[in-house]
Amino acid sequence: MNLRRHSFAVIAGLAVLLFLWIPLVAVAINSFNRNVIMTGWSGFTTHWYSQAFHNQPVRAGVVSTIIIGAISTAASLVLSVTAGLWWRQASGRARRVFDALVYARIILPEVVFATALFFFFNLIHLGLGIGAIIIGHTVWNSAYATLIIQARIVGLDPALEEAAADLGATPWRAFRRVTAVLLLPGVVTAGLLALTFSFDDVVTSFFMGGAATAPLPIVLFGLIRFEITPEINAVGVLFMLFTVAMMSLAVSSFRAGESVVRRGGADRLMGMYRR
Amino acid sequence: MNDNTAGVRLVEVEKRYQSVVAVRSLSLEVPRGTFFSIIGPSGCGKTTTLRIIGGFEAPDRGRVEVSGQDVTRLRPHRRPVNTVFQSYALFPHLSAFENVAFGLREARRPRAEIQERAQEMLDLVGLTGREGRRPRQLSGGQQQRVALGRALVNRPEVLLLDEPLGALDLQIRKEMQAQLKEIQREVGTTFVYVTHDQEEAFAMSDRVAVMNGGILEQVGEPAEVYRRPASSWVAGFVGGANQFPGLVSEVERPGRYVVELANGIRRTSPGVAGLKPGQQVTTVVRPEDLWLRPVAAGEEEPETAATVLDAAFLGSHRLLRLASQRLGMLSASVRGVGQEAHLGEAVALGWKDEDGWVVPAGTAEARPEGAAAQ
Repeated sequence: MNLRRHSFAVIAGLAVLLFLWIPLVAVAINSFNRNVIMTGWSGFTTHWYSQAFHNQPVRAGVVSTIIIGAISTAASLVLSVTAGLWWRQASGRARRVFDALVYARIILPEVVFATALFFFFNLIHLGLGIGAIIIGHTVWNSAYATLIIQARIVGLDPALEEAAADLGATPWRAFRRVTAVLLLPGVVTAGLLALTFSFDDVVTSFFMGGAATAPLPIVLFGLIRFEITPEINAVGVLFMLFTVAMMSLAVSSFRAGESVVRRGGADRLMGMYRR
Repeated sequence: MNDNTAGVRLVEVEKRYQSVVAVRSLSLEVPRGTFFSIIGPSGCGKTTTLRIIGGFEAPDRGRVEVSGQDVTRLRPHRRPVNTVFQSYALFPHLSAFENVAFGLREARRPRAEIQERAQEMLDLVGLTGREGRRPRQLSGGQQQRVALGRALVNRPEVLLLDEPLGALDLQIRKEMQAQLKEIQREVGTTFVYVTHDQEEAFAMSDRVAVMNGGILEQVGEPAEVYRRPASSWVAGFVGGANQFPGLVSEVERPGRYVVELANGIRRTSPGVAGLKPGQQVTTVVRPEDLWLRPVAAGEEEPETAATVLDAAFLGSHRLLRLASQRLGMLSASVRGVGQEAHLGEAVALGWKDEDGWVVPAGTAEARPEGAAAQ
């Protein structure tokens, strides 16, 4: 390979290795390092993992992270499926307004939203804490979920629901037996994505948490401010593994869903062509 | 309610989309147990009419009755009507069997009955052995049959079919036409069939309704619509037609008129009722009703001479295009020996009085798609 011609690519590649992957690998290695100040390798241990496991703030952080993730994901899914179904039959103008609102939540800096919510909650005397964090996460998580579910809904033939109604299904039965089943891959993807984003959110959690509630990322952030122990590495590795697992599940379920939609879409196109 | 209630009755049904009238004051009666087709060009309101019967569109005015029951305000899932959709709309996540069983499960029939009736229906539509296939593993024709079985298995009072053969190849289409007709006779359900293909409608139907621009132009048996069209437009839509403009010069007796055609030709023909002397009319003559004979050398030029411009061989017959000085462009369908025509040949032509049909003069054009509201 001609290194000179590809010099930019080589430099960029090295930079990525240096700043992204080497630190991650170092974290992973140090999580098993007996050396407390991490200046060198002094032997293998799983001690940090058991210490992290028994660390009270970390345990509390995990619990609140799970609660926040679960509730804000569920809320985001309900909102985005409802919104998606409305969007399908909305007028062009209503759709554009709605889309703008969704994109705004994704594009605008999270810190702006968090600040705004902070003042708003003060104004309506809603106490900071786990409830406030859940609302904060739902605000932007539902935007991501909406995008994914819209993509599924676009590929859904409205005639299918008409057919279900025609065959005697009440609106609720038609939703359960047809619409919901066909939207499921999108719902799973959106849910995993929302869960992941919620798990590693710092900004919103920091603004909304107040003094009482600290999800895991905030706990980690607090730990490194006082002292850096290998325990943080252990927590970090577990966290990383969890996130990667979620993301790969999300990607694979999206792909599976997408291929179904694409096939369906192609069939319809062919049908139109033949007519 | 007695036995001769109509399968479907529409009373002054009207549907607008913003300023466009899709269906204008439509009254229509579909006799129970018949194969009834609604035909017309695209945008004529036939699919809207079907969707109003199915409950997918609410009419702005008027009443919809199925088997004597007023269903105007009923939602689709409460109507004793099932539909075969144009796109089939099969459930992609369910097998052929489960697609067919869908309606029975919604009706909460006992398990054994569902099994039996769904299987029976799959056998009837010729899908034995394909029960476990998903829709996308089936050919277009097979998907079409699943759609038919899925609708019929519920034993609806009326089956609605929205251009169900539109996506099929010509050959499968012809096969399905025959099968549909056979199945209709077997189950005895009222079929309301929408298509833009008049030939298909004529081949299958007991009665045909012709729509144009949201208005019902004519209802009748296929032969009646073809032989006795109500208007110049219907005449042109349901087959080849020579249309000669003229004036009614005399009403010989009701429904029989002496017509002065252009260029002084006078013919006496039957026609639609109620035409008045002096009225502008059109005499319709089907291509197969024109006779031709060669003009002998030295013969005095006949009243209706024409020149053969083109002859298309269509298997069972030949379609000639002719130009006549007095009658304009004509088309004639000829078959058999002694009728071979040569290009450029001069011929004499004519038709029996009984084969002409007088209709009010009118535009032969289709009404503009969705005529504007008044």
